[in-house]
Amino acid sequence: MNETPLWASESFWKKTAIWVTAGSFVILIVLTMDSLSQTTAGGKRVPPYSVINKKIDYRFNKELNKSVPVIGGDEFLFGKQLSEQEAEQLVDLGKKTAQSRNCMNCHTILGNGAYYAPDLTKAWLDQGWLSKELREDLMVKFLMNPESNARTFGSNRKMPNLGITEQEAEGLVAFLKWMSSIDTNGFPYNFKTIEAEE
Amino acid sequence: MIEPVALKDFFITFFSSALIILAGAAYALLFAWSKINSHTGIKIGALAAYAVLVASVLELTRAAQFQGYWLIISVAMVIGYFFAPIGIWHLCVKTHGHPDDTSIKTKIQEDEQ
Amino acid sequence: MNTPQLDNVIPKPASVLDKARIYRDKFKAWVNLDSSNLTAGQQLAVKYFTVAVILFVAQILFGLLSALQFIYPGFLYGILDFNVNRMVHINAMIVWMLYGFIGSIYWLIEDESGTEIVGLKWANIAFWVLTGAVTLVVLVYLFVQVGPGKDSSLWFINEGREYIEAPRWADLGITAVMLVFFYNVVATFSKGNWSGIAGVLVLDLIALVGLYLAGMFYMTNITHDQYWWWWVIHLWVEATWEVLVGVIMAWSLMKLLGVRRKIVQTWLYIEVALMFGSGILGLGHHYFWIGMPEYWLSVGGFFSALEPIPLVAMVVHAIYDSGVHAFKTVNHPALAWVIAHAFGNFFGAGVWGFMHTLPQINLYTHGTQWSASHGHLSFFGAYATINIAFFYLAIQQWRGNVWMAAGTRHAWRWKWALGLLNAGVVGMTVALLIAGYEQSFIERAVEGSTWAGYFAAQNQPSFQHAMNWRMFFGLVTAAGLGLLVWDLLTIGKYEERKAEKVVEKVIVH
Repeated sequence: MNETPLWASESFWKKTAIWVTAGSFVILIVLTMDSLSQTTAGGKRVPPYSVINKKIDYRFNKELNKSVPVIGGDEFLFGKQLSEQEAEQLVDLGKKTAQSRNCMNCHTILGNGAYYAPDLTKAWLDQGWLSKELREDLMVKFLMNPESNARTFGSNRKMPNLGITEQEAEGLVAFLKWMSSIDTNGFPYNFKTIEAEE
Repeated sequence: MIEPVALKDFFITFFSSALIILAGAAYALLFAWSKINSHTGIKIGALAAYAVLVASVLELTRAAQFQGYWLIISVAMVIGYFFAPIGIWHLCVKTHGHPDDTSIKTKIQEDEQ
Repeated sequence: MNTPQLDNVIPKPASVLDKARIYRDKFKAWVNLDSSNLTAGQQLAVKYFTVAVILFVAQILFGLLSALQFIYPGFLYGILDFNVNRMVHINAMIVWMLYGFIGSIYWLIEDESGTEIVGLKWANIAFWVLTGAVTLVVLVYLFVQVGPGKDSSLWFINEGREYIEAPRWADLGITAVMLVFFYNVVATFSKGNWSGIAGVLVLDLIALVGLYLAGMFYMTNITHDQYWWWWVIHLWVEATWEVLVGVIMAWSLMKLLGVRRKIVQTWLYIEVALMFGSGILGLGHHYFWIGMPEYWLSVGGFFSALEPIPLVAMVVHAIYDSGVHAFKTVNHPALAWVIAHAFGNFFGAGVWGFMHTLPQINLYTHGTQWSASHGHLSFFGAYATINIAFFYLAIQQWRGNVWMAAGTRHAWRWKWALGLLNAGVVGMTVALLIAGYEQSFIERAVEGSTWAGYFAAQNQPSFQHAMNWRMFFGLVTAAGLGLLVWDLLTIGKYEERKAEKVVEKVIVH
């Protein structure tokens, strides 16, 4: 009874640990390559940056049993049609602004971040912007001077003034508009957009 | 494809998920204890904990509306949580070398001086 | 330009320095620790532990400020806004735990390898470089806060990605320091003896450093950005950190309880297989809603259901050990914190994790206070506790390996610190759980996740009460931390009894 069976021996578990780790990692690499190629900007799940030239909505699809982004006809941002390259530059400025202003430590982006301020995933489509005509203007004004354009919904929580320039504000709006077109597998749930008819 | 939890099932979803882990651990604990203490009550306790686990899995399956291949998770939990403690117990016994280890005082303390 | 009045008001720099020196000397005399009780590696380790404790205090302080802003949004508005406080809160946590781990490794490496640390001088330089960098990063966070939407801001101010906000220059610095650390570990084992523990440690450190690199790139595509970002966060805290703790525990079990090496190493391998087997693909539960393909729902759901298996293994093993060994411990506080670790890890990672991880429910709970609830309990339970346990082991040795078991003077201090810290964190966790439940219900399920829905949930009395309770338990946690620091500085000070030595267990037939 003194013998340790193979399945309880140190060397067996050493090998198992190595194989399990390596195996999981290889699967992860394969899935990573597939996932990244499926989510390159310009694909089906993550539209090209020039999608900001289009009307975007987010509607429940009965067949798929989840809400999906719906890309419509032309709806230029700030009245200008942008080439793919110009659109990418503008979204890029917005993304960098979002990072340098540390948005994520109050807001969530795609549901990740902090919980002190609302989620930004579908911020472009939120009914809080009152109407589609006012939306762009309201967003830029708010971002540039959130304190005097405060929208606290009765919570007294005000966004601080982060010194966002007009150009950066437009970039942020482009970033938010582009982000709202990403297929997030139905997150957020049951979201009623500014386009929804009452 | 998933079917999100219905509003009315919110609480039961959280509760049954938590209970799966708690019952799984309770079963593991009582099972292991029954191995070093042959009191029948402990064995019955272990089985009762397992019964709670199965009930919780069933409830979660219903509340989270598992269907199709999602049922694999339910089955895996019912089977896995039953055998995992048994397998791990055997591993404990075998890795520690001697099956009659329990009767031995395995540790001596010495003064540094 | 002679202004005699001003001279009286502004103290001369030299006199300030002198005063500081006097205070430091007084403090040292009061603490009365004798570093000759430590080996060179251990002396380096306690430097890391000291900074870790200071950052722990910073973590709690900035946590309290953030918690207060939930109740009084005007508090420090425009001076230290929520995003700054919260960033320092979580960064200080990550960094103090890393300091704790690095310190623990330096503590055990000489003993484990059987030789002195190779390149101790470099290790000391690396310590000061890292500490200087961390200080500078925090000062920039606090006083510069934000920059323009340009690369230069990401390089020098803040990368704006939760948990890994440190600017790019600091990323490079941290990587360089980690490479020095890695070199030291490898070279020391190469000079002395390799062991199974050493092998796991080295491979885990490669993964740790390698994964950090995945978080250093800027991407316009937010979906790709968050994909790699989770590689760092998840694979650190739910895989490589867990294994690092496994390594530290394995060594401690041998040294403190005299468990045989063969058994410890076998179980370390089993742990690695279970942790990596469930944890690596468990990454999928972060990919549900960030734009990734739908198959991640299944992958994440399935492996999350497996993640509690290592915890079950620990339960069974603990019972087995209790039946087999008659353990005597020479360090009661450390043992108590290890027990707190076992429970905290089980509830924080296991129960709290699984409660909201399946996509069917995570659709509602993702990005709500649920995550905060889970985060508080699991970081504390899995990592804070084990670091604190190691601090107690270190202080015992630093005092000259004195008695720290039954009958220690002022034992109430460590007991109350333990009780208050645990009660505080559990209290916060429950308060945030209630807030998260309310938020996911009102905001997500009922109101449809709009901004109006978000604020409707935030304005609910039950949410606001929960935030008050979180504040209260935050203060309890802070009180516990204050007591812990006091106890760490004083425990064993007048103790003259030596701890008994633990020897390898002998099986008598």
